[in-house]
Amino acid sequence: MKYKSQKIAYWFFATCMLLLSLQIVYGFVMGFARMGFDGLHDWIPFNAARATHTNLLVVWLLTGFMGAAHYIIPDESDREIYSEKLAYIQLISLILVGVVSIIGFHLNFWEGRKFLEIPRPLDYLVVVNVLLFLFNIGMTVWKGKRYTTTALVLYFGLFSAALLYLPGMIQFNSQTVDSYFRWWVVHLWVEGVWELIMGGILSFLLIKLTGVDREVIEKWLYVIVGLTFLSGILGTGHHYYYIGVPEYWKWVGGFFSMLEPLAFLAMAMFAISMYRKSGRNHPNTIALFWTIGSAIMSFVGAGFLGFAHTLPQVNLYTHGTLITAMHGHLAFWGAYAMIVFAILTYAMPLLTGRKLWNNPTGLFAFWASNIGMLGMTGAFAVAGIAQVYLERKLGLDFLTVQKEIQVHFLGLVLAALVFTSGIIAFIINFIRFGTPTDEALGAEQASGDISLARRS
Amino acid sequence: MLTKFQAKLFFLVGTFLFSAVFLLLTYDSLKYVYSSASSKTLSEEVISGKELWEKNNCMGCHTILGEGAYYAPELTKVYERRGPEWIRVFLKDPQAMYPGERKMVKYDFSESQISDIIAFLKWNGELDLKGFPPKPEYKSSTQLVNAESAAVVQPEKFKQICTACHSVGGAGGNVGPALDSVGKKYDIAYLQNWLRDPQKIKPGTAMPKLPLSENEIKDLSSYLSQLK
Repeated sequence: MKYKSQKIAYWFFATCMLLLSLQIVYGFVMGFARMGFDGLHDWIPFNAARATHTNLLVVWLLTGFMGAAHYIIPDESDREIYSEKLAYIQLISLILVGVVSIIGFHLNFWEGRKFLEIPRPLDYLVVVNVLLFLFNIGMTVWKGKRYTTTALVLYFGLFSAALLYLPGMIQFNSQTVDSYFRWWVVHLWVEGVWELIMGGILSFLLIKLTGVDREVIEKWLYVIVGLTFLSGILGTGHHYYYIGVPEYWKWVGGFFSMLEPLAFLAMAMFAISMYRKSGRNHPNTIALFWTIGSAIMSFVGAGFLGFAHTLPQVNLYTHGTLITAMHGHLAFWGAYAMIVFAILTYAMPLLTGRKLWNNPTGLFAFWASNIGMLGMTGAFAVAGIAQVYLERKLGLDFLTVQKEIQVHFLGLVLAALVFTSGIIAFIINFIRFGTPTDEALGAEQASGDISLARRS
Repeated sequence: MLTKFQAKLFFLVGTFLFSAVFLLLTYDSLKYVYSSASSKTLSEEVISGKELWEKNNCMGCHTILGEGAYYAPELTKVYERRGPEWIRVFLKDPQAMYPGERKMVKYDFSESQISDIIAFLKWNGELDLKGFPPKPEYKSSTQLVNAESAAVVQPEKFKQICTACHSVGGAGGNVGPALDSVGKKYDIAYLQNWLRDPQKIKPGTAMPKLPLSENEIKDLSSYLSQLK
């Protein structure tokens, strides 16, 4: 690392790993409940497990993005973080809000709108918290020695994510309108501004890992985020087919959903071609694995599998079934979880000064978690397709169908075990790095950061 | 190829243009929603039903308008499918209606709260959802055997509750067996005992003990016993 304050990133990453572990535990609770072993029903009913599982996902990814920002922004702006103290206060308050929300979910205290379950009073604290973060990062960018596209895209992404949290806080009496604006947060986050954040991190990593000229990479970053918004904004329409709004959303949503995979395809092609352009290889190949892997898996999960059920004719049958869970798992994993893992794998040697790259544990973590996640996606797909046919086509009763597809959840849990073994390996590696030290300052030369080495 | 400036322009113009279109369509959609029939039936009960729906995170298991989790049934058309009486009985004690099956949390709702939730479900079921949820395409229909020649007409309770799981003459649910010729197998006395407490006669059966009055049990049994 170049700046002392980049060490803050480590504490965000550590929180990230902790929340991810908890998310997986709740995933298993639900997997077993679906297999018919709902033994925790009285303490953790399905809706509590589900709210905890999805909210932990959102919070750990945001924590990861924040950690990434604390690492990337000082590097890109050529200065220390504006206020280290503010950063720590912000992290601690974020954890507090998270813990209180999760406990609340188990006591039937929530807002009860999918993905936005955090109770209303805590929403205000979230807003204050994110404003603190944006202020701190924003001042760093503002007072920095240089303004790079990568930093600006990342900041603009984080800023818009905060802005778009607000429509979710307005109350509506009609379920239709409620649903309409809930997607302003949920869809425009994951298929809009989060992709800016992902693009920003991806381009930073590609600059560092491949050594391809910044100008080239940043130009393509603009094209990709341009494609994202071009398709993603009106693509929100694919959530509006059947909620009671005008018919034209079927056309608008259907058409722009067809374009949505383009942004992801561009992202994958961009990452691969930049990798092929790089003259020399960066020694931290596992970071490169996660980076390229993220670009590819996001195309498969978010682009392709998303496209597979967003056309209105298909969506009429798959809407509100396990098909959504199938797409959701690989999309979040590929696009957002893997990019957080990538920046973590890249940054850890630089933060701690330990060159723990390319070891068998790290390689196992990559393959096991990816194969496990693909297995889980497959299990959801088979269960979902069976559900659609039995329930929506043949008209069998919901619970009868659920019994028929119970066996696929055995497959899900087995794949989840493979996935979890990968995550455990990743966390073991993370712990082996230890905490960041000042001795790692200026260790870029030794780390093999091609572009930096060439410049200095 | 593109220069960096052109790429930036593509991003800015694209984003601005499509955001503007999106806002325009949003304005039009809201106008449509607020002038449609559903906005006139949005009563106090529906609104407080929605609050209860959210306060208890029903979306954490169920879906409505196809949105939510996929652990429990889609409820958009539940009012049409089950009817208000059935929902009322179910919400009073969810587990009694499906003994030994996937569990729903027992919420101890008051009578008026249950009415609000039913109002909320009814309101959603009446929305113009452009064909969602789709009607099953290959649903088999059993031909009615004797139900029409039956002397005793179908009691109201039967339509409200029993048809959720059983069918007579091809109409009704498919969770329990069709009752078209139930009178051939069982006499009135057996059916009365059965309805009073199914678990006592056949422990572990999926048939719940329903909150029926003695008169209702008699009506139902005499109706059923003549289905031969």
